[in-house]
Amino acid sequence: MTAGAPPTDATPMGGQPSGGQPADDWFERRLHWRGLMGALLHVRVPAESKTFFFGGITLFLFGVQVVTGTLLALYYKPTPAAAYDSVLFLTSDVSFGWLIRSVHHWGANLMIVFLVLHLLRVFFQAAYKFPRELTWVVGVGLLGLTMVFGFTGYLLPWDQRAYWATVVGTEIAGGVPIIGDTLLVLLRGGADVTEATLSRFFGIHVLVVPLALGMIVAVHLVFVHQQGLASPQVPDPRPPAVPTGRTKPFFPDYLLEEVIAWLFLLAILVVLASIFPAGLEEEANPLETPAHIKPEWYFLGVYELLKHVPRIVGILAPMVFVLLLLVLPFIDRNPEVRPRRRPLAIVLGILGIAVMVGLTIWGYVS
Amino acid sequence: MGATATDPTGGRLPRRRFLAALAGFSIVSMAALVVTPIVGFLVPPRTSGGAAGGKVLVGKVADIPPGEGKVVPVGSKPTIVVNTAQGMKAYSAICTHLGCIVTYDSGSAAIVCPCHDGRFNPTTGAVESGPPPTGLTPEEVTVEGDEIFVVSA
Repeated sequence: MTAGAPPTDATPMGGQPSGGQPADDWFERRLHWRGLMGALLHVRVPAESKTFFFGGITLFLFGVQVVTGTLLALYYKPTPAAAYDSVLFLTSDVSFGWLIRSVHHWGANLMIVFLVLHLLRVFFQAAYKFPRELTWVVGVGLLGLTMVFGFTGYLLPWDQRAYWATVVGTEIAGGVPIIGDTLLVLLRGGADVTEATLSRFFGIHVLVVPLALGMIVAVHLVFVHQQGLASPQVPDPRPPAVPTGRTKPFFPDYLLEEVIAWLFLLAILVVLASIFPAGLEEEANPLETPAHIKPEWYFLGVYELLKHVPRIVGILAPMVFVLLLLVLPFIDRNPEVRPRRRPLAIVLGILGIAVMVGLTIWGYVS
Repeated sequence: MGATATDPTGGRLPRRRFLAALAGFSIVSMAALVVTPIVGFLVPPRTSGGAAGGKVLVGKVADIPPGEGKVVPVGSKPTIVVNTAQGMKAYSAICTHLGCIVTYDSGSAAIVCPCHDGRFNPTTGAVESGPPPTGLTPEEVTVEGDEIFVVSA
C-alpha cells in the first residue's frame, strides 16, 4: 500500500486520459491495477523454453470441464432411479445436450493426456529440480485430483460400465493394508455400491474436487510465476540470480501462442465430440456383471497388472509409483538439466513410460 | 500507441485497421459459436406435461358441507371449491398477488391467502382486502348427484 496522499485523478476531468485506454485509466484510478497487471503479465520467459503449452492446455481443459460440467449438472439427477434416464434425456432431448456431454467426456480424457504430457515434459527437461521442487510436488497432487475427477465422474451416468468400474475400483481401495476396510465403507457410503455411493461421488465430483483443484492450480501458478520458466539447457544458479540468457516477454508473445493452442484444442474437442460422441451402455444392474468389462484407458495399466500379480502387489505398486513421483525432486540430486548429462534419470523415465504404455496396450487388446 | 502521422495508403483502408477489424470479427464469431450451444442447452425442452383438460371429479358433496371450502388438484392446477349460500363455486387457488395457494377461512367466511393476507369474496372471487391486484379466476363447477366436477380448460 502507498501511504499519505489521498487518491486523486491523474487527469483533469473531460481531458484526454493519461497514457493508455480510457478503460485502463478508469480501473487504474480506482484499483491501482497497473502494478498488479504488470507483475502478473509483464514477466520474461527464457527464449529457449519449450513448454509445448501442455500445462496451459490442461488448465484450459479444466476450464472447459467447469463450464460443461456446470451445464450438465442443471439436468443431471444423482439418484439410481433417475440418473440413467436424466443422462439419456439430456443427451437426446435437450438442444446441444449430446455436444455438451461429449465435450465433457473428451475434455476429461484430453485433460489426463495433456497432464501426463506436461509431467513428462517437466521430467525430461529436468524442470522439477532446484528451485522448483514444490511446484512438482503440487503438480503430482493435481495429477491425483484429476484421477479422482475421472473416477468419480465415471459412475454418474449409472450405466453398466460405470457401475462395475466403481465396484472394482472401490474394491481395490478396500485392498489397501490396514485402512482398506474403512476406506471402502467411506468411499461407498456403506458395504455396497448403492445410492449412497452415487450421492458421495456426485458431491465429490461437482464440489470437493473442483474447489480443491482450483485452489491447488492457483498455488501451482503462483509458484510458476515466482520462479519463472526453467531453461532446459542451463541449471538455475545457486544462489538464485536474475537469468541472463535470451528472453522473450510472457505478454503478449507467449500468451498469444498459448491462446492459439487453446483454440486449436477447442476445435479438436468439438470434432472429437461430433465424430465419437460419448456413449451410454445399458442401465446399471447390480445382479449382472457384463462380459469383458474394462475400465477407462487411464486405468487399463493397473487393470492389466492386477490380472498377473498377487492382489496386494497390484494394489500397492501404483501407490508406490505415485509416492516415488511425489518425492522425485528430493531423490534426484543431480543438478544437471541436459538429457545426456543425466542418463540414469532419462533411462528410468523411458523404462517407466514403456512399462505403463505396454501394460495399457496389453490391457486394451487382452 | 501513437497514431501514425500520415496515411501512406492514400485514403484506402489501412492494413492495421483491416487486420484489427478481421480479428474483432473472428473473436465475435468464435464467441457466438461457443455461446450458442450453451444458451440452446439452457432452454428447457418442451415436455408433454400439460393436463388433458375436460371434466375432472374432485370430490363428493359430503366432503364440502355448506359454509366450507377445500383446495383440490385439477390436473396440475390447484383449485379451491367453496360450498356457498349461492351454490358450489370454484376458483383457481393461485393467489393473483404472488402465486401462493389460498385457503377457505370459515370463521371470516372468506378465501384467504396466507402469504400477504389477501382476502377474496367466496361467492364472486373478487378482492375484499389486501394486496391482490385482481380477483381469483373462476372455474366452471357442476354437481351431479353427490359428485362435484370441475371443468378444466
